[in-house]
Amino acid sequence: MKGDMYLAWSPNEENLEKAECGGAVTSLLKFALESKSVDAVLAVKARDGNRYDGIPVLITEPQEVIETAGALHCASPNIARCLKEYLDGASDLRIAVTCRPCDAKAIIELVKREQINLENLLLVGLNCTGTLPPVAAQKMFKEEFGINPADVVSEDIEDGKLTVRLKDGTGRERDLAELEEKGYGRRENCRRCETSIPTMADIACGKWGVVDKKATFIEVCSEEGSALVDAAIEAGCILVEQPDDEAVEIREVKIEAATELARKWQERDFAPFRAMSLDERFDYWFGQFSQCIKCFGCRDACPICYCKECWLEPERGYVRGGEIPPDAMWPMVRAVHVMDSCVNCGECQDACSMNLPLSLFVFMLNREIAAIFKYEPGMDVETLPPCRIVTDEELSISGVELV
Amino acid sequence: MSNNGFEPRIVAFACNWCTYAAADTAGISRMEQPPNVDIIRVMCTGRIEPTFILKAFAEGADGVVVSGCHPPGDCHYNNGNYKTFRRMPLVEALLAQYGIEKERFHWGWISGAEAPKWAKLVRDFTEQVRDLGPLNWKRELESKED
Repeated sequence: MKGDMYLAWSPNEENLEKAECGGAVTSLLKFALESKSVDAVLAVKARDGNRYDGIPVLITEPQEVIETAGALHCASPNIARCLKEYLDGASDLRIAVTCRPCDAKAIIELVKREQINLENLLLVGLNCTGTLPPVAAQKMFKEEFGINPADVVSEDIEDGKLTVRLKDGTGRERDLAELEEKGYGRRENCRRCETSIPTMADIACGKWGVVDKKATFIEVCSEEGSALVDAAIEAGCILVEQPDDEAVEIREVKIEAATELARKWQERDFAPFRAMSLDERFDYWFGQFSQCIKCFGCRDACPICYCKECWLEPERGYVRGGEIPPDAMWPMVRAVHVMDSCVNCGECQDACSMNLPLSLFVFMLNREIAAIFKYEPGMDVETLPPCRIVTDEELSISGVELV
Repeated sequence: MSNNGFEPRIVAFACNWCTYAAADTAGISRMEQPPNVDIIRVMCTGRIEPTFILKAFAEGADGVVVSGCHPPGDCHYNNGNYKTFRRMPLVEALLAQYGIEKERFHWGWISGAEAPKWAKLVRDFTEQVRDLGPLNWKRELESKED
């Protein structure tokens, strides 16, 4: 049932070998396909074995699930957008989706916007402490680690350290904070992300809480998730044991530390803007956005942007066509339409060909709005975005306070 | 006149059912108000998309006013004013982050019976924006066109 926790591992040797921790996710996905509780699995695999090129794949054959085993830290595929755009929002296909916290949040925001059918989805959440930008990561491996990026077989971020394992079995370790000082390390939005456990998904899987063992820590977050895990245990597809109190506590401590670190990064990134005068802010943002080449990348990548007819198209009469840089309306229209529900996935900034700090701009605004409306995007499918709701309570009071 | 004879241009979005009627009454009753405000009548302030306000600034307004029916019960469409009231903080936050003074944007409620309140708002707001001077955004746009 909801709230259960397990230490799980796969009885299958191949899964155990290839997987990041216990291979439980791979086994669960395989079991879900075999038992016909889903029609397909949407997961991420390395294209042609290249770790720096992770792509979403739709799998319908159980034996192919193994290709997606293992974590890819240097990939940030846009799972939510992919689900909405290319799989028709799961309208006619039952899909098990592997998702990081930001993917799960984006999916939930799209469900609220009626773009994705949650009833057909099984969200297999994967704990995440951040992903690395693929190109910068390769540069970092060369320059900071002194290794050939092609030799890397796994990366790991744990206790403030970035660890890589190489083909020849050796490993390298560097301090993450130090790397991030130099501009390497995790993607900027990941540094600011407070959610490392996707409790909004059906199950949350990861390795925090696992001590001296090859196992996956599973937290069951919904009844659907519970049904899958129970059935898989019964069928012998995963082996489980109860985590002891110490394990749970270790996990809690790690979650706490990750959240704390994210808050520090937020403070560090936002403080300079708070200190700026209005004119300085204006000059800064105007300067940034005057580099925009209007490629529509941010709009096309954003999982929250879902309008079929976009305000930014020239025929809408808001932003003139064929003009570069677009006038200042452009970033403002983008921001105002998504800022109440920004999930801090960073896809806009990844897509930006001019490398503008878009994720910072929108997420910073989102934090202000979140404080006013007490609305945390993507956490709960029942809570609608602030612009969508009027409560009965509000309608009956005289004078209006923000709720 | 302060600020080198600068005359601000102000765009006011007024709800057809209340603020527009108040503005009408204020005019008919010859209440004193400066001529700087251009009123755009909308059927409901709930129709006002945040983009409208930004567009007004982009097109050369120095200040923007949004005014509609008093909550809770005045809205002709039951809850249009609540929608305004949830969207406007978004605009305020965005303008502040983009470096536009919050005093250039005002939103509130004026019923059809509050013509003096409208006239006072027009007087005060015009004065307030006049003191701020021209919008920095416009300055930047003009220098681009030169």
